[in-house]
Amino acid sequence: MNLARLSTGIIGFDEILNGGFISKRAYLVRGGPGCGKTILGLHFLSAGISNSEPSLYISLGEPVEQIKTNGAMLGFDTKAITFLDLSPSADFFTEVQTYDIFSPAEVEREPTTQRIIESVESLKPKRVLIDSMTQFRYLCTDDFQFRKQVLSFIRFLLNADATVVFTSESSAEAPDDDLQFISDGVIHLHNSLEGRNISITKFRGSDFIAGLHSLRVTSQGIKVAPKLQTKLLKQEFILENISSGIPELDELLHGGIERGTVTILTGPTGVGKTTLGLQFMKEAAGRGERSVIYTFEEGEETLVARSQAVNIPIHAMITNGNLSVVRVEPLHLTHDEFANQVRHEVEENKTRIVMIDSVAGYRLAMSGADLASHLHALCKYLQNMGATVILVNETENITGDFRATELGISYIADNIIFLRYLEIYGEMQKAIGVLKKRLSNFEKTLREIEITRYGIKLGKPLVNLRKILSGTPEWVEKNDNTK
Amino acid sequence: MNVKPLILTVTSNNRNLELLNQFLSKEGYQAIGASDLQEFISAMNQPIKINLGLIDITGFDSSIWNCCEQLKNQQIPFLIISPRQNAVIQNQSFVCGASNLLIKPLVIKQLFNLIKSLIEDLE
Repeated sequence: MNLARLSTGIIGFDEILNGGFISKRAYLVRGGPGCGKTILGLHFLSAGISNSEPSLYISLGEPVEQIKTNGAMLGFDTKAITFLDLSPSADFFTEVQTYDIFSPAEVEREPTTQRIIESVESLKPKRVLIDSMTQFRYLCTDDFQFRKQVLSFIRFLLNADATVVFTSESSAEAPDDDLQFISDGVIHLHNSLEGRNISITKFRGSDFIAGLHSLRVTSQGIKVAPKLQTKLLKQEFILENISSGIPELDELLHGGIERGTVTILTGPTGVGKTTLGLQFMKEAAGRGERSVIYTFEEGEETLVARSQAVNIPIHAMITNGNLSVVRVEPLHLTHDEFANQVRHEVEENKTRIVMIDSVAGYRLAMSGADLASHLHALCKYLQNMGATVILVNETENITGDFRATELGISYIADNIIFLRYLEIYGEMQKAIGVLKKRLSNFEKTLREIEITRYGIKLGKPLVNLRKILSGTPEWVEKNDNTK
Repeated sequence: MNVKPLILTVTSNNRNLELLNQFLSKEGYQAIGASDLQEFISAMNQPIKINLGLIDITGFDSSIWNCCEQLKNQQIPFLIISPRQNAVIQNQSFVCGASNLLIKPLVIKQLFNLIKSLIEDLE
């Protein structure tokens, strides 16, 4: 059975909910102060307004004028929303309207309910936001009355064909477990120093994406970046080799790297990892394919300048739309947001090669979050989509005993290409080799690599060398027949 | 019974008085309110028959008890409403002739049941 869905007004949030709220149900939005409960509610009502559904905002705490002003600042059309202001007016304080002869439950419950009934009956809203339900707790003499009251209130609204979102101020001191049991769905908003999150723990009658998703409050309201669902997102693609455009490099790789694979380019600083990655993109651009580089360390200008200097026409590639260089500021995005940015590139812009420069920068930029699992999810997604992933990994050792990566990510890679410095006859030389290639065989020898102003040049295989992984290789036979 | 029973309400808090009278009239009683001792005394001295007194002692000094004595002398039954449970207040209330002592906040239903039975007793 397909249940009618109502958009929440937030694209990423709809995605988490598999399309939105189920209509004529009641949902609880809970969170501490400043989590964005009211803004989320405003999104929900505004989405109704744009579908010309009557929407009602019942405010029990914040004055309506203030909500309207704040909402308008975030770009909501608050004029179109009907507000019912049940917040205490200033008179309550100035005209000494305090009383103690009866409990508030006895005095205020009835007029409050009466006003709600009147508004609902006259407006017949399709969407109702109650901000916040916590206030009702004080209008009921005990927990049982509260629960009964809320249940019957919600029933009343649902019978009037409304979909209800109600907020609750939750804290350890004032738990709201009872409201969680009552509602058809529970949405949690979290706000911590590390960032904002949204998660769902209950959604009657529907599946949802579990776990924490990034949430950001921008000047246009809430933006939600759902966690990557690698299983669900898939695209058919032909598993073919993509050439580097350098015959010797293709020989080394027995044809190039395959689509839908993850390649780690590893090596010490300055050895030419980024340039090598760009070489694949240059060739892809020649075929009219789009690539994107996420650079975490280097600015776009320096990258452009130095690539131009080694005969990679990065400027032209960018102008033709075959390349996009995206500088990612440290600590600016969460991994979910970054992943969604990549998703957009792949799904909307049909990007075929994605390079992350570098893995260490990625880790740092994503506020030290669990690197391997997030990178793994991102790479899996890109593989499913048939994109070629290039991860640039910097090793700290210039020479010495060989280690593929230092971040424990080698297992993600289908291909590991390493670049390194070698000392041969007292001279520093660069060499390239392949350590792993899942889908084909590869050359087991190293080749000399040089980056010149005409581009990348690879030499013949360095045979007869031994201890090639040590950094100070020796010739097997002393007679120099390779040079 | 065609005439609505008249209840004298005394409380120093205006909002309390307003609420109390509002609820009483809703239940079919007439109410006259007094928010200080002066009004209390003049209400007692009016040539009308008061059926019951509801006296919230919050905010009054001990001279409230003299007024209560007067009610007793006029054979008007009355209830004392106290902000808290207190042995001295309880004792004083019954010495002055109160029919009962109620502690705030009052439960409306119970209050009306009590009023009803007190007024029915009189008839």
